[in-house]
Amino acid sequence: MNTFGLAPLILILPVIGLLLNGLFGRRFVEANPANGERLTGWLASLMTIGAFLVSLSLFLSLLAHGFEPIIVPLFNWIDIPSAGFLINWAMQIDTLSVTMMLVVTGVGALIHIYAIGYMHGDPDFSRFFTYLNLFIFFMLILVSGSSYLVMFVGWEGVGLCSYLLISFWWARLDKNGVPANANAGRKAMIMNRIGDFGVILAMILLFWTFGTLEYTGVFPSAVEMFESNHMVAFGGLSVPLATVLTAVTALFLLGVAGKSAQIPLYTWLPDAMAGPTPVSALIHAATMVTAGVYLLVRSNVLYEIVRTSGATILGLISTPDLVAWVGALTAFFAALIAFSQNDIKKVLAYSTVSQLGFMVAAAGSGAYVAAMFHLVTHAFFKALLFLGSGSVIHGMEHGHHHLAHAGHGAAQGSGGQGSAAHGSGTGAAHLAAEADANQVHGNAASDEVADGFDPQDMRYMGGLRRRMPTTFIVYLIGSLALAGIIPLAGFWSKDEILLHDQTYATPIFIVLAIAALGTAFYVARQLIMVFFGKPRHAAAEHAAESPALMTTPLVVLAGLTVLGGLLNLPYLTRAMAEANHNHPAGIFLMLESWLEHSLASFALAEEGILALPRTPVYLSVLVATISTALAVGGLLLGYLVYRGRPRTSSEPDRLARTPIWWWVVLPLNSLYMKGFVPAFNRFSVWLADKVDWAFWHDFVHDRVIRDIFVTGADFSANVLDAQGVDGLVNGAGKTTQRLARGLRLTQTGYARTYALAVFLGAIGLLVYFLLMAG
Amino acid sequence: MPSAVNINWYIALSSILFAIGALGVLLRRNAIILFMSVELMLNSANLLFVAFARHLGNLDGQVLVFFVITVAAAEVAVGLALIVAIFRTKKSINIDEINLLKG
Amino acid sequence: MIHPIPFLLLAAVAVAAALGMLLSHNAVHSALYLVLNFITVAIFYLALNAPFIAMVQVTVYAGAIVVLFLFVIMLLGAERLRSPVDEVRGPERFHRYAAILLALVLVGVVAYLLFQGGLDMTGVDTTAGATLDASPQALGMALFQSYVFPFQVTGVLLLAAIAGVVIFGHTKRQGEDNA
Repeated sequence: MNTFGLAPLILILPVIGLLLNGLFGRRFVEANPANGERLTGWLASLMTIGAFLVSLSLFLSLLAHGFEPIIVPLFNWIDIPSAGFLINWAMQIDTLSVTMMLVVTGVGALIHIYAIGYMHGDPDFSRFFTYLNLFIFFMLILVSGSSYLVMFVGWEGVGLCSYLLISFWWARLDKNGVPANANAGRKAMIMNRIGDFGVILAMILLFWTFGTLEYTGVFPSAVEMFESNHMVAFGGLSVPLATVLTAVTALFLLGVAGKSAQIPLYTWLPDAMAGPTPVSALIHAATMVTAGVYLLVRSNVLYEIVRTSGATILGLISTPDLVAWVGALTAFFAALIAFSQNDIKKVLAYSTVSQLGFMVAAAGSGAYVAAMFHLVTHAFFKALLFLGSGSVIHGMEHGHHHLAHAGHGAAQGSGGQGSAAHGSGTGAAHLAAEADANQVHGNAASDEVADGFDPQDMRYMGGLRRRMPTTFIVYLIGSLALAGIIPLAGFWSKDEILLHDQTYATPIFIVLAIAALGTAFYVARQLIMVFFGKPRHAAAEHAAESPALMTTPLVVLAGLTVLGGLLNLPYLTRAMAEANHNHPAGIFLMLESWLEHSLASFALAEEGILALPRTPVYLSVLVATISTALAVGGLLLGYLVYRGRPRTSSEPDRLARTPIWWWVVLPLNSLYMKGFVPAFNRFSVWLADKVDWAFWHDFVHDRVIRDIFVTGADFSANVLDAQGVDGLVNGAGKTTQRLARGLRLTQTGYARTYALAVFLGAIGLLVYFLLMAG
Repeated sequence: MPSAVNINWYIALSSILFAIGALGVLLRRNAIILFMSVELMLNSANLLFVAFARHLGNLDGQVLVFFVITVAAAEVAVGLALIVAIFRTKKSINIDEINLLKG
Repeated sequence: MIHPIPFLLLAAVAVAAALGMLLSHNAVHSALYLVLNFITVAIFYLALNAPFIAMVQVTVYAGAIVVLFLFVIMLLGAERLRSPVDEVRGPERFHRYAAILLALVLVGVVAYLLFQGGLDMTGVDTTAGATLDASPQALGMALFQSYVFPFQVTGVLLLAAIAGVVIFGHTKRQGEDNA
């Protein structure tokens, strides 16, 4: 018995949620805030949980059904018989899509529940949940689509939701009066669009080549054409299949760069932190940004064909390798940028970009299972980290408002008791708190308090582990997973990627390894700045733990982070791997055994058609040692640089003071540290300037892209339209006028002239009839 | 005489009269003379109609002439009334002076 | 069928009268020449076995229309007009030459055709018309039977003409008119 018929429910449930919340949610919340919020929030969450349960049932059905993909047709979308163009809206339930569904709905449900607590008191509460459900809907369309076109509908839909949710507080102006949130949303949308452009072109090429966009049509056709050396005709031009696929895969890479924030289209992701933290957790950590990785993994056949055929772009590099390098470089650079970020969410944003780089690099190197594995574990611990940071921010605001209501005007530093209504930055207000000053900030125009306090700035934090113990523990778990410490989930997935690349492409391995080192470093930096030491601002001193509605999902995610490694345990030794012919067996490589039914490259590689670079997945002592050493070393480095003494928030980053400190403390390493660290600091700050440069790069975007467009539009409007088209139209009128003026001269007014004309005509006719007609 | 008077003679006569009438219309400036030339033209056509009626043995030509005469009479009446009316304002029947409808 | 010589004589008179009408300086003389032309044509009608039409021509054309012309000429004092063809300026100068040319073309073409043999009347009984019954009764029968519709329309036309003339002729109290 199977539940495949229930598959459409995963789409319908979020729609129900979003319709109910969208139409009636505001009324509920305004009528009765406490109950209304609970109603809308739980409604949305329950819809997502429902979708998760259906996904779970699909998972079980697939298990029982032999893992074979099932197509669940929904309806005929576009049907043009004469052109042979048929697009069905159908869902493809196979192991890959179910994996994504489980991640999306599972993590999504936890984040929904978290958001009920986080968005408490926000006047746009119901709108938030409407958008969240809308996002779940589109994301599920993306992962469950049976063709590229359906996937693209979801692709664009999540782009839209990203825009809606990033600029959720669109009316807010930052301290310069700039509507930063709205701009961030717009930037995200536009950069995504650039990627979408690539995907559309790729889809057009695919349709031209294969006549269909269905996965079940494209991939077998591609293999068949590849084997038969089919040439694709473009009008009079005939190109080999591999060249076409090179173009397709390169264009897909453009889409991935936009959606999954790779170089050069990553700058929107740090800006996207302007959205509420649950949004950052859901969309920009766990799900939407992984859509690009999903695309890569889904198109594995195409990439492997390109790899096998040896086709290269301009004779330099083949697209899969290009993908791997883009991913690796992104991982490296983003990690370095994270070194000097002071905003807790921005660190996580760059960390996401970096980890996505890992996933993209894995997919480009042919380690699709590793990429998916990292996707899943990353969803767990990054969502955990984001939600944890939200909890931290929540606590900081709590503390800050605590102060603001203690002594008026002395809100700067001196602590005090008082009402605990908070605001600014995230807009959650404690309604059940005190009677006075229930300021609900929400989407108000400007929320910055007078002292310029930013609850997200890590320089104001410190020592929060005592004030927020639960948050601290889960955050620690998440951070260590991110750094890649055994036996947390992050280690296993990252290790598998490193293992694969060590044999496949050692330069990439080196770059990724350095990125891993950097990851550990900034992780340690963040941990120490936020949770250790002494609080650097009175707000941090009065921070309080978040309510259970927020901490419970954190704990659940922490549990998943700890256990996540079990998904794809590698063999313990090489011998064991070879004994099993490098195939999954038993509890080892479960994810691989699950996914390989959807990744045709595996089967095709067995048959020898495609040259999929496979490495035995085992716990290589070499690689594991290297990665652990890097992780621990990075943590240690971070600890050494940042540990200890209380600092004030206005003190420059510890890194800058290090030369003196190391000179005193460790004379042995002093020379190394004195030489290396300030240079590294300068380099790191310079890279941070790259963030500025990224903004400046936007300036370039403004100049290059926008100005060209504006010039073109101006030309079209003023020259083509005003002069050209209007000229034609007016010219027709003027010609008519001139003609009329000329013809008017025949109206002399003299009757005799007219009579002459009549006579002339009459004679003419007469002559004609008399002479011609006999 | 070479031959009997047949239809061709009448055709010749009629066309000559018609041409003279046309010249009168085009060349004379006096509106009344112009009208008389029009009547001459009508007359020449009538002549030809009757000649054909005679030569084809059909009475239709004469009936038509009957109508033409009637219409000509009506037309003259109205036309002369027009001229008189114009004369009252312009004090002239020089048709070249009636040229206000020019472009 | 008329003998050629009387025909030519009458034809000459008709053409001469027409030319006289065309070239006369005096409007009254033009009208009288026109009368002559009409009478001549009436005689032609008689020769063409159309007695009723001939009388109608004399009565209506020569008797009524030309009289009307004369009345208006007298009324407007147009007999004092000088040159038959006046100076005109501009491109209208050439109108007279164009007119003469066209008239010559017309006559020339007709003459050419006639010299080519004229109208082909073979197979047509050209003598039947001589014995045709062209009495008023016959014409009346034709009018009221085959041509009753044009007859009625012509009646309406005359009515309209009368109405128009009355309106045109009507003057207001202060001497304004409806021109």
